[in-house]
Amino acid sequence: MMVEELDPLIHVPARLRIVATLAALPQGDALSFTRLQEMIGLTPGNLITHLRRLEEAEYVITEKTGSGPASRTSVALTNHGRAALDSYTEALRGLLDGL
Amino acid sequence: MSDTRHMDPMSPGGGHSRGGDGGDSDDFSADEDESGAGLNPSEAADLLQQTRRRAERKLDYRSPWLSLVGAAVVLIALGAVWLSVRNQHPYKGPTLTALGVMYGVLVVWIILVLAVAQRASTGVSGRSIRQQRAQAAVVVAALVAVSAYQGYLKSEGVSLSVVYGTYPLTAQLIVLGTIGAAIAGWREDWPGFGSSMAIILVAAGSAFAGAAGVWLSDAIGIALVVVGYACAQAWTRRK
Repeated sequence: MMVEELDPLIHVPARLRIVATLAALPQGDALSFTRLQEMIGLTPGNLITHLRRLEEAEYVITEKTGSGPASRTSVALTNHGRAALDSYTEALRGLLDGL
Repeated sequence: MSDTRHMDPMSPGGGHSRGGDGGDSDDFSADEDESGAGLNPSEAADLLQQTRRRAERKLDYRSPWLSLVGAAVVLIALGAVWLSVRNQHPYKGPTLTALGVMYGVLVVWIILVLAVAQRASTGVSGRSIRQQRAQAAVVVAALVAVSAYQGYLKSEGVSLSVVYGTYPLTAQLIVLGTIGAAIAGWREDWPGFGSSMAIILVAAGSAFAGAAGVWLSDAIGIALVVVGYACAQAWTRRK
């Protein structure tokens, strides 16, 4: 297997950190945007950009509750995203074993 | 558990600037190489492992140091009661001062655990939070039921060595151990499962130490179990 074959959506440092952080939650749980941002250390703008990419691929799902200044956005890894991370991890293992 | 309220960041113009504005500095920018070039497999594996481990620690309130504080709390709380009853002949029960020390230490401990748990679960919502609330309700209901039955035993004229000695501590520990084992087994938290089972065994065995001895036996036994659990937690985290 070649490095280029790794899932390009995950094989980017910021997105790898996003999915790895969300994968630490029990299945069925979500994390608020603010807490995710605090844990990863990205600016809101960068985090939004990466989350949109992941959401387009249906790796994560975002849910907005409330409206106006009190609204909240929560982010969760989908089953598809969790499976993609598992596949990515397996692929990494395969590459490292081959080195 | 807790709600972190803020402007909706995902909506257009939701109160945040786009990446790179305003002098914010990121380790990784949105403009980074989309192919991931520059991130070799070894670096990616390290980043994945470190990020996941760090996230798990931040999201889980349980920690070795919190367990060690718990072991000290058990020793102080039950030890204070044992000191007040060890020379009683016949057995009359703990003094108000000893009970004050025990409940005072336990309340401080519960407040500490709740504060740490609250911090860990900030911004988390979903199934596990609802499950934790249900588990807490079960623990409270079980402890209330144990206390209610203690009242019944007293009303029936059962000896003070049972009503204020072996029964309350033994019953409460067996109930807590059973609930803890069930939860840990369901979560596949094997150190937690083993510790909970050990608590049940210590509680059942300590009942044979008598009304006064049960306090000391449980104090030492439970503290040792909790220290063992703290060591298991530390070992698991190092893996």
